[in-house]
Amino acid sequence: MRKLTVLGLGVALLAAAGAALAAPGTDAAKADGVSSEVVSLRRLTQDEYRNSIADIFGPGIEIRGMFEPTIRVGGLQAASTAVLSVTPAGFESYTKMADSIAVQVTGEKLRDRLPCTPARAKAADDKCAGKILAHYGLLLFRRPLTDAELKSRITLAHTLAARQKNFYAGMRYGLASLIQAPDFLFRKEVAVPDAGGKDYTLEPYSRATRLSYLLWNSTPDAELLSAAQTGALSTEAGLKKQAGRLMASPRLEAGMRAFFNDMLELDTFDTVSKDSLLYPKWGVAIANSAKEETLKTVLDLTLTRDGDVRDLMTTRDTYINRNLAAVYRVPFPFNGDWVRYEFDPKAGRSGIITQVSMLAMFSHPGRSSPTKRGVALTDILLCEPTPNPPNNVDFSIINDTGGPLKTVRQRLMAHATNPVCASCHNHSDPVGLTLEGFDTIGGFRTTENGEVIDLKTRIRDTTINGAEDLGRYLHDNPKFTACLARKMFAYARGENTMRVRPNMFQAAYARFVDSGFHLRALLTGLAEGPELYSAPPPKPASGGGGKVSMH
Amino acid sequence: MKLDRRFLLRGSCQGALAVLGLPFLDCFLDSKGKALAATGRPLPTRFSTYFYGLGLTKQLWVPKTAGKDYEVTEQLAPLQPLRAKINIFSGLRVAVDANPNYQHWSGAGASATGMSPTKINEFDTKTIDQQVADVISRGARFKSVAASCAGDASQSYSSLGGANTLPAEPTPLSLYTRLFGPGFQDPSKGDWKPDPQVMIQQSVLSVVADDRKRAMAELGPADRARMDQYFTSVREAELQMQAELQRPDIEAKVTIPAAPEEMVCNNALPNLRKVTPIMAKLAALAMATDQTRVFHMSVSQPGSQIFIPGDSLGYHQSTHEEPIDPKLGYQPRVAKYNVYNMELFCAYLKELDAIPEGDGTLLDHMLVYAFTDVAFAKIHALDGIPVLLAGGANGRMKTGYHINGDGSPVSRVGLTAQKAMDMSLESWGGGSMETRSPFTELLA
Repeated sequence: MRKLTVLGLGVALLAAAGAALAAPGTDAAKADGVSSEVVSLRRLTQDEYRNSIADIFGPGIEIRGMFEPTIRVGGLQAASTAVLSVTPAGFESYTKMADSIAVQVTGEKLRDRLPCTPARAKAADDKCAGKILAHYGLLLFRRPLTDAELKSRITLAHTLAARQKNFYAGMRYGLASLIQAPDFLFRKEVAVPDAGGKDYTLEPYSRATRLSYLLWNSTPDAELLSAAQTGALSTEAGLKKQAGRLMASPRLEAGMRAFFNDMLELDTFDTVSKDSLLYPKWGVAIANSAKEETLKTVLDLTLTRDGDVRDLMTTRDTYINRNLAAVYRVPFPFNGDWVRYEFDPKAGRSGIITQVSMLAMFSHPGRSSPTKRGVALTDILLCEPTPNPPNNVDFSIINDTGGPLKTVRQRLMAHATNPVCASCHNHSDPVGLTLEGFDTIGGFRTTENGEVIDLKTRIRDTTINGAEDLGRYLHDNPKFTACLARKMFAYARGENTMRVRPNMFQAAYARFVDSGFHLRALLTGLAEGPELYSAPPPKPASGGGGKVSMH
Repeated sequence: MKLDRRFLLRGSCQGALAVLGLPFLDCFLDSKGKALAATGRPLPTRFSTYFYGLGLTKQLWVPKTAGKDYEVTEQLAPLQPLRAKINIFSGLRVAVDANPNYQHWSGAGASATGMSPTKINEFDTKTIDQQVADVISRGARFKSVAASCAGDASQSYSSLGGANTLPAEPTPLSLYTRLFGPGFQDPSKGDWKPDPQVMIQQSVLSVVADDRKRAMAELGPADRARMDQYFTSVREAELQMQAELQRPDIEAKVTIPAAPEEMVCNNALPNLRKVTPIMAKLAALAMATDQTRVFHMSVSQPGSQIFIPGDSLGYHQSTHEEPIDPKLGYQPRVAKYNVYNMELFCAYLKELDAIPEGDGTLLDHMLVYAFTDVAFAKIHALDGIPVLLAGGANGRMKTGYHINGDGSPVSRVGLTAQKAMDMSLESWGGGSMETRSPFTELLA
């Protein structure tokens, strides 16, 4: 008997899916419209996914599941989202998450939020279902659903609602099919010829998407989508108005938090382990606190106080909690969680480069590494990656702590006298050597193995003595601000920083410089366009259909 | 009329019901009739890759003589209990051809694909486990599963090609939940019936998959390939559900334990020693119960960051910075780490060998391909890169040998492994490592 019931369901599904197949594809006609080009297809990051779901369905939705790991391209994870796809394990997780979200959205607790109530809860209601699916479809796909897309979902919801005599059961599956669709999981940005007809620029919905994820790290809200729908986003005034609205919102902080987390590579902490014998106090709590300290410092300086981004290299202002106070060895006579703190001028600390985060992430488990720190900081802050060392380098001398060379510095110098090694070490090490006054977890020190640490070095023609000198050097180095701006532009567009040329966003950069390096000026310059939205005209068709099928 | 793939799939929703009761291992009827399980049905030959970083120390691992009677070496000693089920390959060569020797990548990529990688951190083709999975996985619940003992989902050297790797389950709990959480058909439950919920989910996937044509439109070649991978993944989820609709017909005499507790999973050796056997046990159960026939396990990344607490350098840094002891002729601390790696590998094999199956153990009915990133880590040398094969592949692989590859490309081992997996291929690998010569002496 049971078998029969289940079989019946199977047949009904078959019929439903068949109906969807037969639905006329209005989307095809749309896709064949005049020369548009897909300029990027970016997989949502974990945070983008979470924020988008929260914004679309309201607070209180629990999202549990695995998100696929990302990689760094040109110093940014954001750029890898335009390269990576969805693996079987990844999709398995996406499909489960989609269903779990849809269950919650249609559950008794939250269903009052749906934009329509069915005539009868125990039956299918296509009109109401269509209303709900179109509403969320627009928000999820960041564009209106095509007729075919909507129809196939209404049919699915109808079949399952009728079968289970429950409107909301049908809704659950209709919504789940949207939440796991590639149109939600990937941000597809499409360019069309601009007013002049010569160059290409993002069409309005793609503008809304790029703008919203840059500034809020989330999906475009209803107002932004409506500005896309009316075409206002393609006008200078309309774009300015929406950019201004997003810039003025406190949600800008979430957007910039995501950017700096990416640019400063703070996710590195996810895979850093420290030696528990040498540094017993180190733990996940300190790592998380260190990451938060840096983000708080950066957001406070650049947004709350609207400061000069160069001061990130020199400021003594920070935020600490009890965990960090232990590493910094400062008193923490507070009951609260985080407090604003100003380092003593004699503490030797200078901006984010001497915070626990940057010092600990780029060290070995039990030992500091001037090379690791130097390589990371020059790449992160100056956009100057260091090439890999030759394959057959002899580093042995660096480890010979029993010999006459007591400090890392002395041993490194001996190794770097080799001219092959010197070419790169001269690039990376000076930066790192000035930070040797801090151990592998960022604690202050003056000696190593009983010997006083020498913090003096030369970068090009400048003598630098210690972290504060380094901070001032970076503060005054135009490469820092140029690098930050390049990374912002690359981040916003999902491109490799190394391929971003200053002339691609001259106007926005000029605003940044003229403002005295205020982050808001750079963001406004980008958000108001047109550079952020521009695209090269399509390349002539290359015939090939890409790689062979992956299946 | 061209048959629509979607149409066929829809049929299978109904078809799944129609075939209920058919033996689920039918497609694995072994002409040799070996390794029959208690019920008389053949066991599928399963496949695993195992990755560990930083190679071994040549003076300490390569046996002096080839063949079956080789004298056990210091670094192979941990594997001694299972020696009769393992083949050791020395003297293998990795030719990078026109590509650079990407540090800690070229060796790993070449071992996994048989060709020298043209880009760092990318595979030029599917890794060997995925090539095998294409052939043997149909019918299992998961086409393949990957796990990282060091707690890092990105430490996976299983890939469909390109920069994407198949994410590794980073903890015993996450691996357990994937395998034995919702969707697992417990063989010990007598009142099995197909879960209607699975069929509903199939219909949802069907709607998603129907948008394929439109989603692929307008995309450039690179994005088309990515979108194609998305839909391939959808297809795999459909197949997974199809498998979940089959009556469980599991021969394994195993009990599924309770979920493991949350554990600290990182690069510290003491943690790896705790986590690896648990991950290994779960992998073994997954293959014994046909949740998957292909498993990828990693204990570290290339350039292994494993460290012993108190050792301020750790493994990778030691390989570059520890001086070669003038008397010993090698790096003593590095040599210790090498041995720890072999111990971890042995822990994996032991769990596979602990599951009785038919006339032997799970290990006898599978093949494990263990590879690494370098031959001599200090200078990132690739020649002599070690590869180990374990397991009898259902009688297809002779074991217990040390093979001196004598300058053979590393791809010969991969070809041999795939031949033992009964795959019909004549050559494997690419560039100057493309080979048509398996080690035939090992193939039964």
